[in-house]
Amino acid sequence: MALQILNAGENGDAEKISDDLRGRIEAAIEGAEVSVTANGPGHFEIRVVSSSFEGLSRVKQQQRVYGAIAELMAGPNAPVHAIDKLECLLP
Amino acid sequence: MSLDQGARSRLDTLIGAHEVTLFMKGTRQQPQCGFSSTVIQILDTLIPEYQTVDVLADSELRENIKLYSAWPTIPQLYVKGEFVGGCDIIQELFQSGELAATFGIELPKPGDVSITISDAAADQLRQVLEQQGGPGRDLQLSIDARFQANLFLGPAGGDPTVVESNGVELRMDAVSASRADGLSIDVVDTPQGPGFKINNPRAPGVRPLSVGELKLLLDAEEAFELMDVRTVAERETSAIEGSSLMDDEQAARLEALPKDAKLVFHCHHGGRSQQAAEHFAALGFTNVYNLVGGIDAWSDEIDPSVPKY
Repeated sequence: MALQILNAGENGDAEKISDDLRGRIEAAIEGAEVSVTANGPGHFEIRVVSSSFEGLSRVKQQQRVYGAIAELMAGPNAPVHAIDKLECLLP
Repeated sequence: MSLDQGARSRLDTLIGAHEVTLFMKGTRQQPQCGFSSTVIQILDTLIPEYQTVDVLADSELRENIKLYSAWPTIPQLYVKGEFVGGCDIIQELFQSGELAATFGIELPKPGDVSITISDAAADQLRQVLEQQGGPGRDLQLSIDARFQANLFLGPAGGDPTVVESNGVELRMDAVSASRADGLSIDVVDTPQGPGFKINNPRAPGVRPLSVGELKLLLDAEEAFELMDVRTVAERETSAIEGSSLMDDEQAARLEALPKDAKLVFHCHHGGRSQQAAEHFAALGFTNVYNLVGGIDAWSDEIDPSVPKY
């Protein structure tokens, strides 16, 4: 069995992880406009524009995004270590 | 990876067991991270009791709560089963007064709060201000959820409530101000020299109750709780009619009562019951009594048929 590569996020795969983040958010929030910026190993900034945020509190808006990407942030070897900044905006 | 049904219902139960639950790193006494520590300070200011869950002690729980809340960071605050937010959001809600409102704390309007500073205390405070005051060193008073008052010099943050008495201005945050009306400050001699004595009539405390007063209460059939904090063996020897033995189940029942419920504690002579009463006062109960002299005084003065031991 091959050794597991720990901390994939630190191996320079930022672009692939950014795409994964964007894809999951777009799948979870229909019609959302998503941009992801890699800030260094495992660290990302996310900006989501969606009309579905209308009427939701900031916490509820952010929960929708975090809920979509939870798998990428779970566990000690998660590819995403932290979302440094998460902006949820209305169009 | 999603949260399985068992893990979800365990968290439902955990969060449902208390009105306020904080998932944090470390404990209330020893937070292990700056964000958790910040939230603890805020909660201590607002409420006397809350449940904390140390995620560092349980790595499975630490991952599960993130999925449960759809929130990737710790600390996480739940109030009445609802997720409130993490550290940043809690700070914002605290500063805006919304968090206080969530806990049912009514913030006073300017002019609602009046305090009394004695002549001696005003002289002393003016001296302190002359010697140590200056920009960013205003005289401030904070009162935490257990009504511990703290007088200090420092920068007043946010939009402080300014209260004046005897020519001395005190600054308080809005939550402290909600607990300060009627407060007085005097100077008393202590073994360490003169010190400020803060007397707050709004502070919950334990009041003494004589056996005669207890008899009147029992005769009046007014609703109140008479708790016997002695051992089972002592209770088998003798008991006051209408009392209940304090056990874990009863303690939980009392804790769930409205904070103005009348609670009377008794033991053999009044020592153990004083401690029990102080515990409930510290939880925020405002109508707490200790039976002076205990069941022994009850036998002597009210009902000689109750055996003495």
